[in-house]
Amino acid sequence: MELDEPKSQSQEERSRPPIADSAFIFPVWRATRRKHLPDSIFFASGNLERELLAKQVVLEITDEEKLRISCLEEEKQWRMQCPVVGCKAKLNGLQELETHFFTRHTAVCSVCSRVFPTTRLLDLHICESHDSFFQAKVARGHPMFKCLVDGCEAKFLNDASRHQHLVDKHKFPRSYEFHRKRHLSQKQRQRLHKHQGKAKPQDGASASQENDNICESKEGVLQEESAMEVEALTSAVSKLNTGDFLPSNVSFGRRHSRAFAFSAPRGRGRHKSKLNAG
Amino acid sequence: MLNPVDHSPASRRDQFKAAVGNVAGERRRKQAIIIGKERRDAVVRAKRMRRADDNDEGMMYDEPFSDKIINEETVRAVQELKFLFSSSSKDSSQKKIEALRKLRRLLSCSSNPPVASAVEAGVVPILVKCLEFGSSDEQLVEAAWSLTNIASGDSELTLAILPALPLLIAHLGERSAAPVAEQCAWAVGNVAGEGEQARDLLSSQGALLPLAKLLLLNKPMLVKTAAWALSNIIKGPSSKAAVELFKVDGLSEAIIRHLTKGDEELVVEIAWVVVYITSLAESQTKLLIKSGLLPPLVAWLSSSESLSLLTPVLRSVGNLVAGDNSNTDALLDAAKDLPGGLFGCLVRCLGSEHRTLQKEAAWTVSNIVAGSLQHKQLVFGSRVVPTLLHLLATSTFDVRKEAAFALGNLSVMPAGESQLPQPIMEHLSMLVERGCLPGFINLVKSPDLEASRLGLQFLELVLRGLPNGQGSKLVEKEEGLAALEVLEYHDNDDLRSMANELIDKYYGEDYGLEEEYGPGIAEVVRGGEEYPSWRKGRGGI
Repeated sequence: MELDEPKSQSQEERSRPPIADSAFIFPVWRATRRKHLPDSIFFASGNLERELLAKQVVLEITDEEKLRISCLEEEKQWRMQCPVVGCKAKLNGLQELETHFFTRHTAVCSVCSRVFPTTRLLDLHICESHDSFFQAKVARGHPMFKCLVDGCEAKFLNDASRHQHLVDKHKFPRSYEFHRKRHLSQKQRQRLHKHQGKAKPQDGASASQENDNICESKEGVLQEESAMEVEALTSAVSKLNTGDFLPSNVSFGRRHSRAFAFSAPRGRGRHKSKLNAG
Repeated sequence: MLNPVDHSPASRRDQFKAAVGNVAGERRRKQAIIIGKERRDAVVRAKRMRRADDNDEGMMYDEPFSDKIINEETVRAVQELKFLFSSSSKDSSQKKIEALRKLRRLLSCSSNPPVASAVEAGVVPILVKCLEFGSSDEQLVEAAWSLTNIASGDSELTLAILPALPLLIAHLGERSAAPVAEQCAWAVGNVAGEGEQARDLLSSQGALLPLAKLLLLNKPMLVKTAAWALSNIIKGPSSKAAVELFKVDGLSEAIIRHLTKGDEELVVEIAWVVVYITSLAESQTKLLIKSGLLPPLVAWLSSSESLSLLTPVLRSVGNLVAGDNSNTDALLDAAKDLPGGLFGCLVRCLGSEHRTLQKEAAWTVSNIVAGSLQHKQLVFGSRVVPTLLHLLATSTFDVRKEAAFALGNLSVMPAGESQLPQPIMEHLSMLVERGCLPGFINLVKSPDLEASRLGLQFLELVLRGLPNGQGSKLVEKEEGLAALEVLEYHDNDDLRSMANELIDKYYGEDYGLEEEYGPGIAEVVRGGEEYPSWRKGRGGI
């Protein structure tokens, strides 16, 4: 399969300032042949097996040695620096890479089980979504919304102006949303309140699995409430689309009830809450 | 409470953070086996020593003797040889051979022979002398054997025997006795296993054609060793040697003859030669195909139970289909009378317990289905698909990735001129129905950039291809949207843009509204209409 270059990387466009996301063309799947040269790493495990089998008797290789050597060679193949920018971790082996990735580069919010790739973003999320202290400072007009980009010191009065900054300064796509507004039915909110009392922090990697399996009602109720307070306090410019006719109490029908792993309908639908069912 | 209440922002946040563990380090510590670098290198490198024959009588130097004693004996043996081969010696050739044999036994007594001591003691010049023209066959074999084992060591040791190369190569010729030619081929093979430069050196000294000519003979042991040595020389990365090989008349026929009739060990080594030819030498490959390479190849693929044999045979087939459609067609034709045809053979490999076979078989399939629509349809109708689905769901990362390539290639129309290759709905919907989405979504979450990209591309196919927004719902149901959302923050521009594009396009503002509120809701939300059409009633508004 070919690797298509997004249009924004072509020669002619480099002279113009990059347009946030409108110039990007998705590199769709193309079925093309993939050839590997004899010394390609793709063939390394087969080559190793060849030598092991041919020399097993002559070199008196024990089964344990065989296993160990195979592991070592595989680790060598996956000896790399973590691909995440700024992470200096050196890793040996795919297992180590995956474990490292899932423990250091995914951080799970134990309140609403959203997953973030860095603890910084998790911190920001927790402050902005689950912390009433934060909401209070916002209400008093302090610029509490930090820029999401690590290293950028900018702070904003509200989510919307931060959003604008991300789009203008850091070329984030306009449709990007740091907060998901999820709205639960009254019943679910009650269930979640009960759950909150029993909730405990869990291990990172397993948490993202486990939390997904826990009843979906553990979605951000607090998030919803504080988010709505924030909205009530912010100015009209925070709404990037048509007017704000958000009622303070919303019931939102639940569909697709499944035992596991189905989260609230996500996506950009900010306006879902603006209509009553029926 | 144990701790005083702390209102600092950091500690407040800490309450909410999920703790993080470290599993990998513990597991590594548990693995008790330590393998020294020397031992590991000896196993992994493409060099092979020759141990003593079973029926060799005389003193065997193994268990009872310590390394120290063995080294001392070796040095003594070298010195004895030095004396015997010096001009002042009038000893018989028999004595010389006995001394050589003693040295050879020392150098083949264990899996870690005292070759370094021997080289240090200056054995190589003597061995070169022993290779002179006119020497007895016995002498030549013993000398070449010692050189073989010296060359089976690390780089320094292998390069130490370079002075002997011209004579070793000379003894590959037609007039040499079989055991002599074999042992010299073995030594040459070890030198070739040293690396690209050594290979080039051997080629320039003319080792290639004499070795190739040995393949024309009917002597199994000799042909086997020569084939192995040849595989070490032609393995590239340059295709020069693989191409030049065919200057020898009748080589194609000989290769195919051995492939068809040889005993298993011989077939293994010949198959490796075929691997490198199919990988590097395109027109020579066509020549081999014309001479009848494919029937025996697929026959082995269908019937063999041996991993040693299946590996090079499968890889040869893989190399062939990585070429073009005509190769695929030729293979399909050659295998048509076998049970299950070509795909039956591949299913065997896919279902093997050996990860390498599974991986390379999946790669092979991925190249077959990168061919014509007919190829895709043929695969779709075979047992390959359920096997691939199983691998995608359950196997190790490298196998899953190849299975993903295969299934994805199966689901799109051939890459033609169009900007947007269409999905093959029949294939795509069946795969989705059979539960392939979780496997692809797992790949999206992988730290490997290529795998993640692959997963995203397949998701795009599903989102675009399935009608009526089914794609979006299904992907979300399988936690696909969650995986996309995590990628929104990814520092890799490509992945981030791809993920965002999918979210914007398929999980935009209108997502989910229609189902909840009926058709026409999008217009209401956007402010164009006050009521959705279903609400308007007969009179309209």
